[in-house]
Amino acid sequence: MSATALSLGVADPAPLLATGGAADGLRTAVRVLVEGLGKAAVYFTIAVGLTLVFGLMGVLNFAHGAVTMVGAYLGGLVLVLVVGSGTGTLATIGVFFAAMAIVFAVTTAAGSLIELKLIRPIYDRTPTYQILLTFGVSLIIEEVARIVLTLRGIQPDPQWQAPMGTAPDVLLGRTDFLGIAVRRLYLFEVLIGGVVLVAVWLFLTRTLYGLYIRAGSEDTEMVQALGIDVRRAFTVVFGVGTGLAAVGGVLLMWDPIWGPSVLLSIDVLLYAFVVVIIGGLGSFRGTVVAAGIVGIADSVTTWLFTTGVVTFSGLSEVTIFLLLVGMLIVRPQGLYGVEEVGGH
Amino acid sequence: MTLADYARDHAVHAAVVLVFFLYPPVNGALESSPLAAETAAFLPGITFMIAVLYMGLFAMSFDFVSGYTGYLSFGHAAFYGTGAYFVVLAANGQIPGIPGGTPFMITLLLGALLAALLALVIGSVSFRLTGVYFAMITLGFAQVIYELIRSWGYVSTNPQEGATIGGDGLAIGVPYVDALSLRVGRLTGTSVENLLGLGIDVSATVVSYYALGAVVLASYFAMQRILHSPFGRVMVAIRENEERARAVGYPTYRFKLAAFAISGFFGAVAGGIFAAYARSVSPDNSYFFLVTADALITTIIGGFGTLAGPLFGTAFHQWLEDVLSTESGGLATYIREGVPATVLETDVFGLSVELFVNTALAGRAPLYLGIVFVLFVLFVPNGILGTVRDRLGGTVGKRLPERLRRYRR
Repeated sequence: MSATALSLGVADPAPLLATGGAADGLRTAVRVLVEGLGKAAVYFTIAVGLTLVFGLMGVLNFAHGAVTMVGAYLGGLVLVLVVGSGTGTLATIGVFFAAMAIVFAVTTAAGSLIELKLIRPIYDRTPTYQILLTFGVSLIIEEVARIVLTLRGIQPDPQWQAPMGTAPDVLLGRTDFLGIAVRRLYLFEVLIGGVVLVAVWLFLTRTLYGLYIRAGSEDTEMVQALGIDVRRAFTVVFGVGTGLAAVGGVLLMWDPIWGPSVLLSIDVLLYAFVVVIIGGLGSFRGTVVAAGIVGIADSVTTWLFTTGVVTFSGLSEVTIFLLLVGMLIVRPQGLYGVEEVGGH
Repeated sequence: MTLADYARDHAVHAAVVLVFFLYPPVNGALESSPLAAETAAFLPGITFMIAVLYMGLFAMSFDFVSGYTGYLSFGHAAFYGTGAYFVVLAANGQIPGIPGGTPFMITLLLGALLAALLALVIGSVSFRLTGVYFAMITLGFAQVIYELIRSWGYVSTNPQEGATIGGDGLAIGVPYVDALSLRVGRLTGTSVENLLGLGIDVSATVVSYYALGAVVLASYFAMQRILHSPFGRVMVAIRENEERARAVGYPTYRFKLAAFAISGFFGAVAGGIFAAYARSVSPDNSYFFLVTADALITTIIGGFGTLAGPLFGTAFHQWLEDVLSTESGGLATYIREGVPATVLETDVFGLSVELFVNTALAGRAPLYLGIVFVLFVLFVPNGILGTVRDRLGGTVGKRLPERLRRYRR
């Protein structure tokens, strides 16, 4: 997330400062809160897959960000192909959901394949090697993406503008929400984040594999001892985690702060790490709460910078990484993490 | 121990140093031979060999703590960046208390000491954690510093782009003695014409290569000495079984901190010589996570937990960069010039061969590095040097002379 893109994502603060008064202060607070929730939804969506995979398998997936990047491009591709100038708003949003479903299906399959062919042979080694392997995979994905994009005549590093242009006008404007001008894109992100949250929660609580994950994040050995085929569970969960990473990418596609770019790969990875560590590695509830904390911290610090209270342009990034460091010092297992997990 | 024993123990070291020492003249001779095109395409140029030196030293310092104590230092770029920025700022007279003309060797040392201090601070909270958490907290610290330095206007008018050294080249050698120091830098370095009256000219780049090489060699022997001392054995004990090391009575926390500080010191030396040679530094080529990642990759390829391995891993990485580079006559240029146009224009699946060469080879070193890295993780987990050691049944320096003697009989 570059500093130049940062300034795009926030509302013009000048009128808010000019008027003053308690009512305006309250309105600003609500606006910053809504923006924070929008950002939190994004952080949640890009981090939830990482925490699922870690919870069951103890694998910190360094290829997570690369998959998000691929998801952003694939989702963008679907929208650019289908949405024309005549497509209506509802139809466009329908295509957006269809793109999410398609991208989820494709990347879930790809993720399962990666688990099956590359990660499975090295479970018996120390966890370091799984980190290394997924990191290598992310390097390859990034470079292949660069090659494909260059061949198609698209610049890999700056954001790919075409899919961002397909965002319906409704989402780009502001809406009057209890007398506060709120960017509709944030509301849309909150909506999508909510959908993903409910879907993952249902997966965790209503399916067999969800049960395995919840059990596995408490005690993996016990799960194995109970005769559950953890190998198949690993494949499914790694696939689902990868698919969720890509769904996060589709969500980022319309957001001017992020947008499809190969640089997403490393940015998303670092922010997803912050969220899962603060929440507690492997804890779904922790990821929800941590995404909220990070999202609101992000919007508050961004607001502080744009109002000119603080003139330091890297404020929100520094705050987010300080949250990570602070949490690790005070409570290494995170908000809801299990103490032994991750301290290999 | 007699001198002969000592020489035999270090025969392999001497051989490696000799190869590095002879590389520039041999490469130069080949470039003016009939094999000039092949040399340009397949042998790394001197600028890439210089990168082998400073990145190799950085990877060795990363391996020093990560490979020997088992604690992955994911924020190691913090030390490299500190060394690099300190040298640049000191050269520009921007560091309070250090006047502008202070010799580089002194600022390099001060920067490295600052990095060691930083390592103590970071380590004092980080070494309460283990495993993934240790990796993450060090990464977090490094990212905080990266974001700070990116927006710190004191560094330069455009801190996102980093800072540049103005003025003369920085000198490696004995401080205050001009006759015993060599200036480094592609344009600002010392160049020697008609060396010792032999009619040989040595370019500024080659002089920089030797000067940086001397620093790397000294740092390597210092780290090697530490690893072979009782202190180093405790580091390995911590990696193998920390609880047991503690039970035997070693204060492991202090040992880890000390190892981290030493590793930060040499990481900063690597950053310092890089900045002195490149004469500029940016947040993205010093403090960023990907700089640590580079060291991690080359360490794994070279051999995790072998001090010299990362240097060979870096050599492989830079060779790949050079062969696939677009600027200095890499493989792509070689194919474009050596292969007939009819072949280049042939269509394969709708893509011409030339387009394929341009997109899949030119500047694509990270792709092949990633593939090689994954293959190493899967099939050669001990890396180049680690595997060779496994085969020989001990360190190369010890076992190779014995093997050779056996064959001589």
